[in-house]
Amino acid sequence: MITRIVRDWIGRSNKTERLWLMAKIEFKLRYYENKLGLLWALIKPVSDIVIYYVAFEMIMKQGVPNFVSFLFIGLIMWNFFVESTTGTIQLLNTKKYLYEYTNMNKIEIYISTLLSNCIGFFFNFLMFTIYYHFIDKGVMAYSWTAFYFIPIFLNLLVMSLAFSLILSNIYIIAKDITQVWIVITGLGFWLSPILFRLEKFREALPGLDYINPISGIIINARNVLLYQQAPDWKLFFFGWVYAGILLAIGLFLLNKLGSKAAEKL
Amino acid sequence: MIEKNDTIYAIRARNVSKTFYVTEDSHNTVKQRLFNIFNSPKQKKVEALKPLTLDIEKGECIGLLGRNGCGKSTLIKVLAGVYPTDTGQLTINGSTMLMNLGVGMSHELTARENIYVSSSVLGLKIKEIDLLFDTIVDFAEIREFVDTKTKFFSSGMLARLGFSIAVNAGADVMFLDEIFAVGDMKFQEKAIKIFESSWIEGKTVILVSHSMEVIRNYCKRAAFMKNGELKFLGPVEEAIRMYTEDNH
Repeated sequence: MITRIVRDWIGRSNKTERLWLMAKIEFKLRYYENKLGLLWALIKPVSDIVIYYVAFEMIMKQGVPNFVSFLFIGLIMWNFFVESTTGTIQLLNTKKYLYEYTNMNKIEIYISTLLSNCIGFFFNFLMFTIYYHFIDKGVMAYSWTAFYFIPIFLNLLVMSLAFSLILSNIYIIAKDITQVWIVITGLGFWLSPILFRLEKFREALPGLDYINPISGIIINARNVLLYQQAPDWKLFFFGWVYAGILLAIGLFLLNKLGSKAAEKL
Repeated sequence: MIEKNDTIYAIRARNVSKTFYVTEDSHNTVKQRLFNIFNSPKQKKVEALKPLTLDIEKGECIGLLGRNGCGKSTLIKVLAGVYPTDTGQLTINGSTMLMNLGVGMSHELTARENIYVSSSVLGLKIKEIDLLFDTIVDFAEIREFVDTKTKFFSSGMLARLGFSIAVNAGADVMFLDEIFAVGDMKFQEKAIKIFESSWIEGKTVILVSHSMEVIRNYCKRAAFMKNGELKFLGPVEEAIRMYTEDNH
């Protein structure tokens, strides 16, 4: 199936333009139809940072150096994952108009939606970089290790696509998967090192950084951006294996259940 | 199983069938599915399309006749690749487009955005859409509302926009389901004029209509369906005779 999609894309060159067109429209619909526009993409992580800073630094005094930067990068990556999964569970229903009348390949709908989320993410990442370099004190500037962020973010992207495919195809046969996923992501947030010092997290919940697929991605993003270290290679490869297996499951479900979306939804 | 091939055929179907299972108890939540693992829901089997074989050549215009509920809409959705087939093999050569009240449009998008998205889905590049844009807007007579969301459009405006995109952007194989039955008299006249122009020449069209006159005027072959079965595919007059007999 993957080779057919790639061959199809190369053969019909308007597909790349179409993906970008759909991503731009999706992005516009999400952010430019309200007064604050793109600022909404930033308001969520900033308000979260304020809440968690008060709780974990001012009250509980965790003592994480540069806690705001530490939280900022963790939260924007987590929010990207949650938006790309929770926000796409009903994708086959809301975008039915795209495949109900033509034999368009459904995977394009997923990719364009993720692309639109990427635009929001890059805006947040830019804000993080500005904060980290110009406002936060006592930090080291990005070094060459920051280039490792590209494969780390790609890992997050593939993981999000995989979960998006799995969830939205389960939605065809089980509508309350939305509520189930909200519970799972709630658990995943607290059972990840987003808020906690890594040593304490590993001591209290050993092995969980391998069970929660997003943990390794966030740990490595901090390693390469905040601490100028190479990624934890074991977590890095584990993350890609996780993403590969989940993507295969997602594509299988798209083939099995997604092909019936037009008649079931 | 759907395959794509380069042949003289736009569509080749071999023993293609489609059955729907209509459940009486709705087991469509995780909870219901978990609590009813060993108690599968009662299902009613509806054979919407009995095994059929047909070939449609590129550039052909075929009429599809049959009474309501005989499986015409299911057949065109299967042939367009929108519904997967249960049995047999289907070969589609090129992009397909199904049109009844309109081509696929989002009510949350403006007419402009819908024109770009729909035309792009039908295979046009952005530069080609730029060139066609004014023609599509003028044909649909929606110039003043081009940046209005289509959810504020009347059904007539939607029908005009959908038809205009279909006519101008087109697809390799087009399924037109009762397009002469919607819109006001002016719109219907416009649709007929399009069919009488050279637009239809060289295009593969599957035309669903209850109008004998339309089928007679524009189709070279016609199919007659009854109870999900393809009873006949051949000369138009014979298909019309069978359909007329079935109505008496």
